[in-house]
Amino acid sequence: MTHASVFRGNHKCTTMRTPLASRCYSHAKVETDEEFDARWVTYFSKPDIDAWELKKGMNTLIGYDLVPEAKILDSALRACRRLNDLASAIRILEAVKDKSGPHKDIYPYLIQELQPTLIELGISTPEDLGMDKL
Amino acid sequence: MSLAKPAMRGLLGKRLRFHLPIAFALSLVAAAAFKYGVTEPRKQAYADFYKQYDATKEFNNMRDAGVFESVRPTGE
Repeated sequence: MTHASVFRGNHKCTTMRTPLASRCYSHAKVETDEEFDARWVTYFSKPDIDAWELKKGMNTLIGYDLVPEAKILDSALRACRRLNDLASAIRILEAVKDKSGPHKDIYPYLIQELQPTLIELGISTPEDLGMDKL
Repeated sequence: MSLAKPAMRGLLGKRLRFHLPIAFALSLVAAAAFKYGVTEPRKQAYADFYKQYDATKEFNNMRDAGVFESVRPTGE
């Protein structure tokens, strides 16, 4: 199935889903899901993160074939708080819903997991604001 | 009621691994269907037509119908 290997993260051995960025010809050590998550949590946890880094980080993260874990999103939302960027915080929630695509069970789960953070930081969900309806 | 953690990684990869082979297969089927349903019968129809085609007879028929400018119908 050679066409599958064109896409990042797809390996010829498809019994186990491989993490991101592994190609058949690469000898690089494959990063585990936990390492990937930790890396991103650290990225957004930078105390003096700037607006550009936040946007760049989010755009890069959204480009991956995954829906970010709750802990990464929590870190990103806290970065928005440090930057006084409520708009980006809500946008992150919209992006997560969009990334889920047809899998409608992901977004409610993540909102459930992020509920303490949303309450603590005073972030409304797009649904609260009626932004999910056109 | 607490929601269970769904699968969140590799969703597109999974979808593509499922749908792309089907897409390729269906494309090949479509191409084969067109080839054997349209182009081959068409080629055969032409072949059959020209198998028994008498060019001289057809020329004379056309000539007598008066459609040529370079030759007059026989007898004029």
